[in-house]
Formats: sequence, C-alpha cells, structure tokens
Amino acid sequence: MSAYVLQQILNGLTLGSLYALVAIGFSMIYSIVRLINFAHGDIAMVGAFATLGLVAVDAPWPLTIATVLLTGGLAGITIEAVVFRSMRGAPQVTGFIATLAVSVVIQNTGIMIFSGQPRNFLFPSVMRERVALGPVTISLTDITIVTMTIVLLAILLILVKRTRLGIGMRAAAENLQVARLMGININRTIMAAFALGSAMAAIAGLMWGGRFGQIDPLFGFIPGLKAFVASVIGGVGSLGGAVLGGYVLGLSEVLFVGLMPSEYSGYRDAFVFFLLILILLVLPNGLLGRSAEERA
Amino acid sequence: MLEVSDLHVARGATHVLKGASLELRAGEIVALIGGNGAGKTTTLLTISGLLRPRAGRITFRAEDGAAHDLAKLGAEQIVRAGIVHCPEGRQVFASLSVAENLKAGAYTRKDRDGVRADLSWVYELFPILAERRQQMAGKLSGGEQMMLSIARALLARPRVLLLDEPSLGLAPQAVETIFEIIEQLNGRGVTILLVEQNAQMALEIANRGYVLQNGAIANTGTGRDLAADPNVKKAYLGMTQ
Repeated sequence: MSAYVLQQILNGLTLGSLYALVAIGFSMIYSIVRLINFAHGDIAMVGAFATLGLVAVDAPWPLTIATVLLTGGLAGITIEAVVFRSMRGAPQVTGFIATLAVSVVIQNTGIMIFSGQPRNFLFPSVMRERVALGPVTISLTDITIVTMTIVLLAILLILVKRTRLGIGMRAAAENLQVARLMGININRTIMAAFALGSAMAAIAGLMWGGRFGQIDPLFGFIPGLKAFVASVIGGVGSLGGAVLGGYVLGLSEVLFVGLMPSEYSGYRDAFVFFLLILILLVLPNGLLGRSAEERA
Repeated sequence: MLEVSDLHVARGATHVLKGASLELRAGEIVALIGGNGAGKTTTLLTISGLLRPRAGRITFRAEDGAAHDLAKLGAEQIVRAGIVHCPEGRQVFASLSVAENLKAGAYTRKDRDGVRADLSWVYELFPILAERRQQMAGKLSGGEQMMLSIARALLARPRVLLLDEPSLGLAPQAVETIFEIIEQLNGRGVTILLVEQNAQMALEIANRGYVLQNGAIANTGTGRDLAADPNVKKAYLGMTQ
C-alpha cells in the first residue's frame, strides 16, 4: 500500500474518531428516549465555543478538558430538563421537531453572542507539529484525537457494562416501563444519558475546532448530521454500532476524497449520504442493529 | 397490609377502574380474577405507581406501622417500600444477561450482602437460572423467562408481590412449577396479589379472591367459595352446570 493511501487511512481514522464520539451520544440518547436529537451536533459547537478563551490563552489542558466536559454535560442536562422532558410520551415526531427547534435556538444564540464570523481556534503550535510514523506523518492533534477517543469509549463501555448506572441505562433502553417497576429512577437515568452523550459531543467539538483551526456558531450542524448517519449505519441505538459507523463513515469519506480525482471532492457529503442509502438497502437495520421486531 | 379503596383509573379516554376496592392482609395469597379488559392489569399498574388514579386511595401499612399513601408516591419509592410488580408477559430485559436482569431487580438496594444472599437464594429456587446466568435473557425459553421475571422481582426483596398472569403462554409443566414457587414464596412470608386468567389454579392456592367486572369488584370470598360459586364457574372456570 502506498504511503499516500496509508496517510489517508490515518486521516480517516481521525475523522472517524470525531464522528464516533458524537454518534455514540446520539445512539445513547436515542436508545433510551427514542429521540433523534438534531441538536446533538450543536452541543459540539457549544463545547468548542466554551473553550475558545482557554484555547486562545493556552490554558493548561486539564482545565480545558474539564471545562468542555462540564459545559457539554450541563448543556445536555439543560435541554433535556427544559425541553424534552415535557415531551416524553408525546408522538415521536413532536420530539423530533423539538430537537430541530432546540438546534436552531442554540445556533442563533451562538450567532447573537459571537456573531457568525468564523473564529480562529488554534491549538498550541506543538500540537500541530507532525511526527513521522514510518512512511506517513501525523500531527499531535490527530494522535490526541484518536487516543482520547479510544480512552473515552473504553470508559463509557465499562460504565455501561459494569456499573449500576449502566445496568439502569440498558434496562431503561430496553423497556422504560419495566425499568420503572424495578425502581430505576428514569429521570435520573435519562439525565445521565444526556450528560454523558453531550459531554462526548462537546469534547469532539473541541477537537474538531483544533483540527480544522476555525469555528463558527453553525459548524456543529454537519458533524451532527454525519454522526447521525454514522449511528444509522451502525444500527440506531446500538452503542457499538455508533462507534463502528463513525469509523466506517470517516474512513470512507476521507478515502473517497483522497482516491477520487480532485474534481469529485466537492461531492463528499453527497457520497456520505449515498453510502447511507446503499448500506440501508442491504442492511435495513444497519451494521449491528437489531430488527425492530426484536425490540420490546 | 395493602388496602385499595374506591379506585378510579382512566387510561386515555377509557374509564377502566370504577371504584374498585380490595384488601391484602399480611401473609395472604389473594387472587384477582376477571375477564379481559376488566381492569386487572390496570389495578396492578396503579398500585405500583405507573398509572395515576383519578380518585381513591391505596394505603400500604408496613410492619413497623408506618402508613404510606401509594397514590402519592412515585414508582421508585413504591419499590423501596417493598411493593414489587412482576409484569405481564415475561418482560425480561432481553439484551441483558440473566445475572444483569437480576441486578436490575436489586437496583434500589444498598445492602450488598443481602443482595448476594438473595442471589444465591433465587439461584437455588431456580437452578436453571444459575446455569444460564451469563446468557442473554432473550435466549431463554418462555418458562425460563417467567422464572427470571419472578426472580428479578424477588431481588427487590418484596413484602408484597404483585404477579400479573404468571402462567400466560406457558406449558402445563412450567405452570405447575411457577405455582409451586408462588406457594413457596408465600410460605416465606411474602404477601401475594395474583392476577390470573387461569382462575381455577389461582383460586386453588389463594386464601381469598376478588372477581373484577367492568372495573369494579363483583364478588369476593375465600378461594374455595369463589371456585364453588356458580357464576364464577360459568364465567371464569369454563364450566357449565
């Protein structure tokens, strides 16, 4: 394999990591409340803007990370408590439209506060240095993105598989009513799903900003949409599927742009959605999704 | 121990319970029988806090004498108070393992040693669950899922167990086992409210029974008396004179 292809694969893994981080929250929220949260990508934007000042002054990174996780988590909890909670039990389409509304509100609040002008979002120069990895090079930012994603996903996996909260979340995802009969506090469980999922999205927003160097109040929309596609490709509601879908999408998008003649690179988003249609034609439940009939 | 008085419950536009009253005394098995749509499941769902009554009271008196009005408590507090509802249709968490289902049953409990003791107790009660503890609950047979559903409820350490149609869709042998277990549990001091289509078997093991008709109690008596009642025989036991 040529160095060029390897390089593209590395880039695809980085982009896939970001998609996976956003997609897992998407799936987590969907699996419990059956809500396709179109405001989820905007949480990534909120995360990036929350750390804009810290990144500009080169604040110590633990502070930046803590800030982004906290802001993201709080943003998720807030929209759940203020908007979505009152719509529980409403027809699915009501919740769906509400998430679009929340998305618009978040974006416009961002524009009101920060204006629509793109802002520079530059990690310290050491993060942008590229290190050689055999025939290819990778920036420290990208290494951080990939390793941080793996660490965060591992933590999340342990949390969902091994802890009491995780059992409550999975039980609630499967059958909300029966979970209540077990004495599982549904409000707290849903809140935890929003907090965790949104924190993941926010940190993806921080890394997205650092990788592409610019942010604006509307930038969360496309990653949010792609993460949605990733979670559908993986099988909506399946956490493993969301991660797999994120990487499949990131890799194929980058390889499409990298391997096709350059005049096609403008079609990358079209390609993503074409891929979605193709996968759903063959596997209507996504790569790892369970069929609807199996669901309680 | 548990007293339901003049309960009115609506589901959507349908007024399902229209002044139902019943009582459970400590240590009893009480059967609640009635036709489809009479309001049996609705009664249980209201006791366990998933449905809110329009009117009426549900009073639970714990051993220490404290009285709770369940209509004012949330589902979580009702489980904590010791009233546990084992739902209709073996609704186990299919994608969770047997062991995880049991952990979910013990969700409200903080006494780790007690939970561990109860775990080995239910594994003794249902050896098949011990064998399959790592298996996905969805892969179990119907009878095994029912056992898991009961075992899961037991892990919450119920003082009152609400059982909704435990025999539904099970092979006769599995039904036999389930009813034996119900009597065994009762022997250990668990008060049981048993909703059953299989009125005959339910009345056989029950101390007392209630017949629910159109959302209200139409008849009550000891299990034996009800089983001998000509109207009950005709309507629910499939017998004609």
